[in-house]
Amino acid sequence: MGWVTEEHPTDQELDACVQCGLCLPLCPTFRLTGKETASPRGRLQAMNAVRDGLFEVDETFEHIMDFCLGCRACEPVCPGMVPYGRALEGTRAEIVAQRPSASHRLRAFLLGSLLGSRGTLNVGSTLLGFAQMLRLTELAPRRYRRLTSGLRPLRGRSDASVGHSGGSGAAGSVGLLSGCVQDQWFRPTNRAAIELLEMAGYRVEAPLAQTCCGALAAHDGKAPEARSLAAINTPAFDGYDMIVATAAGCSAHLREYAHWADDGESVGSRSIDITVAIAEAIERGLLPRVETDNGEIGIQDPCHLRHAQRVTAEPRAILEAAGYQVVEIDPAGMCCGAAGLYTILQPEASQELGNQKAEQIRSTGVKRVASANSGCEMQMRSALGDEVEIRHPIEWYLDAIEAARTRVNVAAVKDPS
Amino acid sequence: MSLVDDLRSALSHDRVLEEPLELHLYSKDASMMRGEATCVVLTETTDEVAAVVRIAEDHRVPIVARGAGTGLTAGASPTEGGIVLSTTLMNDIEIDVDNRTAWVGAGVINLDLSTYAEPYGLHFAPDPSSQSVCTIGGNVANNSGGAHCLAEGATTSHVLGLEVVLAGGEVVVLGGEAPDSPGLDIKGIIVGSEGTLGIVTSALVRLLPLDPDVRTLLIDFETMEEATQTVSDMIAAGFVPAALEIMDQKMMVAVENWLHAGFPTDAAAMLLAEVVGETEAVTAEAALISEMAYKNNARGVELAEDEAHRAKLWKGRKSAFGALAQISPDYYLHDTVVPRSRLVETMDEVQQIADRYGLDVYNVFHAGDGNLHPLISFDASEEGMLDKVQRAGEEMVAACLRNGGALSGEHGIGLEKRDMMRASFTELDLDAQARLKEAFDPEGLFNPAKILPEGSRCFDFGGTRRPIPEGAWV
Repeated sequence: MGWVTEEHPTDQELDACVQCGLCLPLCPTFRLTGKETASPRGRLQAMNAVRDGLFEVDETFEHIMDFCLGCRACEPVCPGMVPYGRALEGTRAEIVAQRPSASHRLRAFLLGSLLGSRGTLNVGSTLLGFAQMLRLTELAPRRYRRLTSGLRPLRGRSDASVGHSGGSGAAGSVGLLSGCVQDQWFRPTNRAAIELLEMAGYRVEAPLAQTCCGALAAHDGKAPEARSLAAINTPAFDGYDMIVATAAGCSAHLREYAHWADDGESVGSRSIDITVAIAEAIERGLLPRVETDNGEIGIQDPCHLRHAQRVTAEPRAILEAAGYQVVEIDPAGMCCGAAGLYTILQPEASQELGNQKAEQIRSTGVKRVASANSGCEMQMRSALGDEVEIRHPIEWYLDAIEAARTRVNVAAVKDPS
Repeated sequence: MSLVDDLRSALSHDRVLEEPLELHLYSKDASMMRGEATCVVLTETTDEVAAVVRIAEDHRVPIVARGAGTGLTAGASPTEGGIVLSTTLMNDIEIDVDNRTAWVGAGVINLDLSTYAEPYGLHFAPDPSSQSVCTIGGNVANNSGGAHCLAEGATTSHVLGLEVVLAGGEVVVLGGEAPDSPGLDIKGIIVGSEGTLGIVTSALVRLLPLDPDVRTLLIDFETMEEATQTVSDMIAAGFVPAALEIMDQKMMVAVENWLHAGFPTDAAAMLLAEVVGETEAVTAEAALISEMAYKNNARGVELAEDEAHRAKLWKGRKSAFGALAQISPDYYLHDTVVPRSRLVETMDEVQQIADRYGLDVYNVFHAGDGNLHPLISFDASEEGMLDKVQRAGEEMVAACLRNGGALSGEHGIGLEKRDMMRASFTELDLDAQARLKEAFDPEGLFNPAKILPEGSRCFDFGGTRRPIPEGAWV
């Protein structure tokens, strides 16, 4: 039957693979299983086989594609420059179209309508906060419990960022993507982003007309839902000099909006990850460097920052400006196994990778870790519990600035001269 | 019981694959030739390999060992059907620091071994371009070389012992820690036999100390002749650097487009030279290389600034084949060796052949040992293209042989060059090799139809072997 939607992997995308295999050792699922069927080269070959009419989009094909994390670690190492992430999203859209199921319909609703509805998310998160306080989350089925155990405490959280506007604008204007669950579960990250950007002289607005970026829907092959969400965001972020997201998964997706929305090119070219914006502000002297020695901190590279956006220097530069010595957790940059819905859909592989990452962190001996993506943060917290404190690099940085200021003030009081 | 049932009773269920799509993904390596696997097994232990071999014999099906599937001659393609045995899960490393050796599972990735040995100040010298992916088992099977094998020798110089599963599921250990094992060097026969005599499950390899210092030079030339002449001058002067690699302009452009390694894309040829050793020695040798290069009209000599720069230059060199994917969907790569003194004229002939067929040819090669890798870039979906590429490739190999060369430098013969063996060997030579194969593998089940052409054995009347399957391309 071949392909049936407009989303399918293009001939150009598939022909860019010459099967050299350089991607194999970077692929977490290949490393886990040793199977060609769990490797990027194998998956591209399977896509080719469907394209050429040799195989159908059947159950085996779906399993092979489902097992992929979508971490895109295969992309930077590929000398043929295969846009693997795009090909995978297209393939998953084909699977949804050709193999409709109750699970896909439910996920389409959750990733499209639910994540797009701020009111529902708000009510849900408030209830989740109560459940967390009453320890009801411990009663959740195991695969969901791994998700809830990675959450930050939700009760008594700060205000949502959406609707915010402030700052001088001397440095330019920023449209902040508040995010869907990001603005419910990771409010301190968004608040830190606002505070730092305004400190640097930006006008920061988080327009009310925005919605979920659609990354999770796109990764799961829910292309129509991803397109609807992108169509709402594109006009909502019109006119800002920069569009900033505080989760690497979201910034990576915004940067690919050219594919997802008419006029998406404009959003894509203006979008950057918060770590890039803050590192640049530090570099330009718009934000301070903290002189104190705050000790060691481990750095975890989210796949959608390191592989999808090729950003590694910026989060490290931020932590160094915060007075930390950066400790590398994983020079190879393997996925932690969070990978969006993967935690729920492939719990075993996800847990295995999460445990491997936890082991790497333990072996460095650090007690603090910085991660620029909320999904990774939850995955690591779920594997490590309270052993290690995990936050976004900009939160560590803002804290360091505030602590330094307090010390300066204390010193000033003690020594009035 | 069926083959799959037997295998599943010997291995766990999830390590025996039989879905048609899964089998399709194991039906070829990185070459162009596709076979058809009956089933795929992923073994974890030598005992499991022995069990699989016995089951294959019971069912009289071929067995083809496969590592990372990066081979370029269809050595791991199941072109006669049968069981594909994947070694990727056999990846234990047991290092003996005092003796500078390691027992290494067949599925260990070449670079993983060096990474593992690094804290002990050791590394595994053979470094094929695919070293970040390819496995030790595959290296042993093909006696793989690499850029740094110029000074250190190919895989066979680094293998001290082998654990091999032979016909009947018999497990033997050949060679060992002693530098010269008594009796015939059977281990030496297994290295380079491409899985046709048995299945290597583990290798005892020699590890070398890390180099105290290194200098990497990027030298650009306005003509290919000057680049190759520089290499010839060095070797003639009795000076053998650790690595001497040449890349032509077209190849550099493709790599630069992806990696931005700083290759001189406006030069006709680039020579990447590396010397290793004590600081004083490498400083002097780098100066010597520089002098020889300028004597041959080098346009410029650049020294790698630091380890990161050096790593990037090597990444560019070692990813060159894959970078061709930017240009067209398929490539066909030949691996031949010519005497260094004949490099320039052979390359001219190769270019002429490509021109005659209207094909695009790229060059990236181990200049130090005269190991040419002409790459033809093409689109297999074009009508008649495959046939044209095949004929051009054959002519190129013939030209290399005419110039006193050998069929293969380091990629093996596999199926790809099987029928060209007759151009290199007499009937008696082939008969002797076929008798050796028979002695090891009387049933003919280990990677059949590879290396030796049909009828190699004198009085071989063809037997019952199937011809090369339809669609496969030699």
